[in-house]
Parts: sequence; structure tokens; C-alpha cells
Amino acid sequence: MSEAQAPIPAESSANGTALRRWLVRPEAPALVFLAVLLVAFSLSSDKFLSGSNLESILVSVAVLGTIALAVNQVILCGEIDISTGSMMGLCAVAAGAVATSTGGLILPLLTGVAVGALAGAVNGLLVTLGRIPSIIVTLGMLYALRGVILLVTGGTWITGIPNETRVLGTGSVLGIEYPVFVLLFLFVVMELVSRHSTWGRNVFAVGGNRRASRLAGLPIDRVRFLSFVLVGVFVGIASIIYLGRAGSVQTNTGTGLELQVVAAVVIGGTSISGGRGSTLAALTGAVLIGVILNGLILLGVPGIWQDAVLGALILLAVTTDVLRRRLLGDKS
Amino acid sequence: MSAATAVLRRLKFSREVVLLGVLIVLLVVMSLLSPLFLTVGNLLNTSRFFVEVGLMALGMTLIIITGGIDLSVGSNLALVSVAVGFSYAADLPLPLAIVFGLVVGLAAGLFNGLFITFLDLHPLVVTLGTFALFQGLAYGLSRAEAVSDFPAWFAYFGQAYFLNVVPGQLFIFILAVVVVWLILSRTRFGRYVYAIGNNEEAAHFSGVPVRRVKLALYSGIGLLVGMAAVIYTSRVYTARGDSGLGLELDVISAVVLGGASIYGGSGTIGGTVLGVLIIATLRNGLVLAGVPSTWQVFVLGVLLLVAVFLNEFFRRREE
Repeated sequence: MSEAQAPIPAESSANGTALRRWLVRPEAPALVFLAVLLVAFSLSSDKFLSGSNLESILVSVAVLGTIALAVNQVILCGEIDISTGSMMGLCAVAAGAVATSTGGLILPLLTGVAVGALAGAVNGLLVTLGRIPSIIVTLGMLYALRGVILLVTGGTWITGIPNETRVLGTGSVLGIEYPVFVLLFLFVVMELVSRHSTWGRNVFAVGGNRRASRLAGLPIDRVRFLSFVLVGVFVGIASIIYLGRAGSVQTNTGTGLELQVVAAVVIGGTSISGGRGSTLAALTGAVLIGVILNGLILLGVPGIWQDAVLGALILLAVTTDVLRRRLLGDKS
Repeated sequence: MSAATAVLRRLKFSREVVLLGVLIVLLVVMSLLSPLFLTVGNLLNTSRFFVEVGLMALGMTLIIITGGIDLSVGSNLALVSVAVGFSYAADLPLPLAIVFGLVVGLAAGLFNGLFITFLDLHPLVVTLGTFALFQGLAYGLSRAEAVSDFPAWFAYFGQAYFLNVVPGQLFIFILAVVVVWLILSRTRFGRYVYAIGNNEEAAHFSGVPVRRVKLALYSGIGLLVGMAAVIYTSRVYTARGDSGLGLELDVISAVVLGGASIYGGSGTIGGTVLGVLIIATLRNGLVLAGVPSTWQVFVLGVLLLVAVFLNEFFRRREE
């Protein structure tokens, strides 16, 4: 009321808009949730907050997080990809087969990436040229690719991956384990691509309003096609991390991974209807899933409850997304 | 030009005829692959396996016509199977356990429906979430164990024969087909289903109770899944958390193969029944030919993609 107090409302309203701006960030609820969980788990278990446990959580989500960073782009486009589990298996089989015959790191990596990109391109072509909804395309591919794995392996395991191929899963650089390093590196790359490249901006436009994007002359088919190919490339990279960690490939490698990936992206805060989200959301979601699964183990919850927890989290995340948008009055 | 479009138009009206042709060709091919295939005993036995998929496909047809989808049917089947088996193991009389199972199926479907209608969420996301949730509950509640000490009469639902050859569950399926066909083609509710699929907003403004129709559909498929789960549990005589794993692929493939557009607005019960028969024939034939089950899944996956592609191809040609 008085003159002395005049600046205070102004400042608090400035704070209000800053808080509000932070709250409308897509990954905000997930980050708050993550912080609460970290506190809760560290209070209930001494082992949780040790540096080695935290790093092992990050290592355990490296494969999931890497794939989530790419699937994030597909979901931002307003599409979905649920074929990544089988695709990961196929890439690991291809890369593993090359690794056992030639050794080295580069050749298996290139093989995994090439196979992934090819599978992603098939997804992309069926969605854009075939005009089949992405959920049906990738559901079909989820099963079809699993069949291809059996064709290639004949049902046998691939074992004896040479150590030089496994370096991405076992080695460390600058004191950081390679899986974590790769994940953070790809996060930075995707953050830059998403913010500063034409394709990165177009992804938001196409997912936000496809009709308007088409009328504005954006190459919506190319934007979506590339996002599916990107998933393949990242799945290829993730498969090398997997090879390094596991040291062998089974025919059921990657089963159920597709669900965790989609869960990570939507839990992180990227809207399943496209156009809203961020790279940080995908990373946050993946870490959140890692923390929850790790916390459940520390709390002694049997592993058979994992699927139920994952499903409940997906529902919780999408519900929060809807309610938050209604509360903030954001109709889009 | 006009002759060509006339042929195409007739092709559209006789989609069921085309599917029937496919089915007959498939029967011939399969009987060449295996001498066991074209026997009355085998053909009737095949129906044991397609009744479960068929029941769920009936509900899925209506849901896909409205432009929705339900990915959670396989998991829901596991949940109901566990509910029946473990409530019986916990000393609930079996008839009550079966009723409890049907209620669980219905409730699971209603749960999907409530999320989809009241939060305006895409069915795909909700049912992807409940796909994991129901599966996880089935695993967790059963502690990954199995119940199989059912009394002898429980076999009636999934293993009984009439006149020594006709599997009992075939009658349940035929009854369900007639009821759902009547609902879809002879009632106001059926017209609402098509109206929502063609243009949900227009349907809403024309006074169609969109929410109530959708709630009824998702609850309805939950009940059908419950029935399928009881038959399934009785057939394999075991209640386990991994029952029905991956069945959603068979169900969705059958419906899409039967001509329902994944974008909503079109589809028939006749088409779906033919789609179910084709997939059952394919599965059974591949089993008899000694093809491993993972390959059958591969074939189904590719078949699903081809079917949707052809559907959309012909739809665009017509426009």
C-alpha cells in the first residue's frame, strides 16, 4: 500500500512469473518427483545415496536413456515407436556377430548403427509413404524384427564378445564410466540439435500442428522419416553399450524395453500428443525409472512388481500432464 | 475409367467375398502342407483356439470403428485368469471365483474407459500404460506361481465336446457374434459407434453421448476379455500370470484384416469373423507344418502391416 512497499508486489510478481515459467517447463514435475524420491530413498536406505550406487543407477539407464533421447523426437513429432525392444535385440545380434568374427569396436558399432538405421527407415517409410499409423507400423515391426532375430541366430546365443568391443560397457573415461559418458554426450548433442537445427525446430512444429506445418511448407514427411531413422541410429549405439555390459546376446534381448522407453519419455514430461517436451525430459524420465527400479530393489520389493510400477507410472505421468495443462489454462 | 471404378466399388462391397477367397486358398495351401490339416477333427479343434481371440476381436472391432484401440487385452486376460485361479485357491467357491474374474475384467475395461473419456487421453497411451499395469498386477499378485487344482467340472468351459466333436465354446462364440452383430447393425448404439468414428466432434454436437458410448465399449471389451479368460484358463487348466501374452497382436490383426479402418469409421462384424478364421487357420496350419511359434509371430506381424497397408491403399483409391 505505502510507497515503501510498492516494489515488493512487483518483485513477487516477477518471482511469480519466473516460478510459473519454470512450472510450465515440460520436465518440471518429473524433476520435482525425482528430487522427492532421492530424499525419500536416501532416508529409508543408507546404501542409496552413496556415489557408487548413484553411478550404477546412471550406468543401468544408459541403454534406456540413449534410446529414449531419440524416441523423444518421434513422440515430439506426434508419432510413436514401440519397436525399439526388438530393434535393440536385432542390432545387438548383428553387432555381436561382427564382433565375434572381426573384433574391434568401430566395425561392430557401424554394423549396429547401420542395421538400426535400416530398421528405422522401414518404420519411417511405412508411416510416411504407406500412411499407416505409427502405432500399427511399430507394433508389427516389434514382432517382425523379433522373427528376424531368430532367422539370423537360429535361436542360439552369441557369446564370447571380445574385450575391445566391450569397452563402451566396461571402460571409463575421465573417471566417468563409458555408458554414462555416452549418454551425457548424446544428451548434449540432442539438446543442441533440438534447439539450434532446422530439423530440431521442425519436429516441434510438425508435432504441435501438422496441418499448419504443411500449409507453412514444412517437409512434414521428411521430418518424421528422419526421426524414425534417428531412433534406429541411437538404438544401434545403445546396442553396443548393451553388448559391453552383458557380454552376450540372447534371442530375447531387449524384450519389454520399448515400454520402458515410452514410459521414460512421457514420465519425463514430453506430451504424448506431440509438440510439447524437451530433451531434458527424456533424460529425466530415464533417470527417474532407474531410480525407482533401484529403490524398489533396495526396499526389498520383488522384481515381479516392476511391470505394475511401470504401468502405474505411465498413467500417473499422462494424468499429471493433462491436469497440469488444465490448471495452467493451456488449451493446446 | 468408369468401368474400373465400378469394379473397385464392387470390390469394396464384396470385401467379405475377397476374404472368403483368401480363407479358401489358405485352407487348400495348409491341407497340401500337412495331411492332418483338412480333417473334421482338426478343423473343429482349431475353433478351441480362435474362440478366445474371436471374443476379444468382437469388442475390438467396435473400439477400432470409433477410432480407438485397446492394447491391454492380453494383459487383462492374464489378470482375470489370475483373479479366478487365486481367488479359488483362497477358498472362494469356483462359481463365485468365475463371477469375480468377470467383474475384474469388466472393471479393468471400465478403468481404461474412465481414463480415456474423463482425461481426454488417447486410448493408445492409456492402454499402453494398463498393458504394463495389468500384466504387472497379474505377475505380482500370483507371485509368478500357477494354480491348476481346479475341480473337474471347470473343464466344461474350455474342453467340453457336444456330440463328441463340436467344442463347447464354439456356441458361446456364435452367440456373442450374433449379439454384437445385432448391436452394431440394428441398434441406435451401433449407429453412434460409426458416427463417433467418422467425426467425433460432429457426433458430439449432434447429441451423441460420446463419453457414455466409449465407456460402454471399453467396459464391454473388458467383459469379453473376462469371458475369454475363463475359457482360456479352463482350456489350459492353469491360471498363470503370463496367460495371453501377446494375444493383442492376434486380436488387432484379425480386426484390421477384416477391413476395419484403423482411422475409424468403418468395419464390420462379418469381416472380423473372417479375419479371426484366417488368422486361426494360419496359426494352426503353421503349427501342423512344424513352424516354431516365434515364426508364427513374425508372419502375424508382417500380415498386420500388409493388411493395414492394403486397407488404406484401397480406401485412398476410392476417394
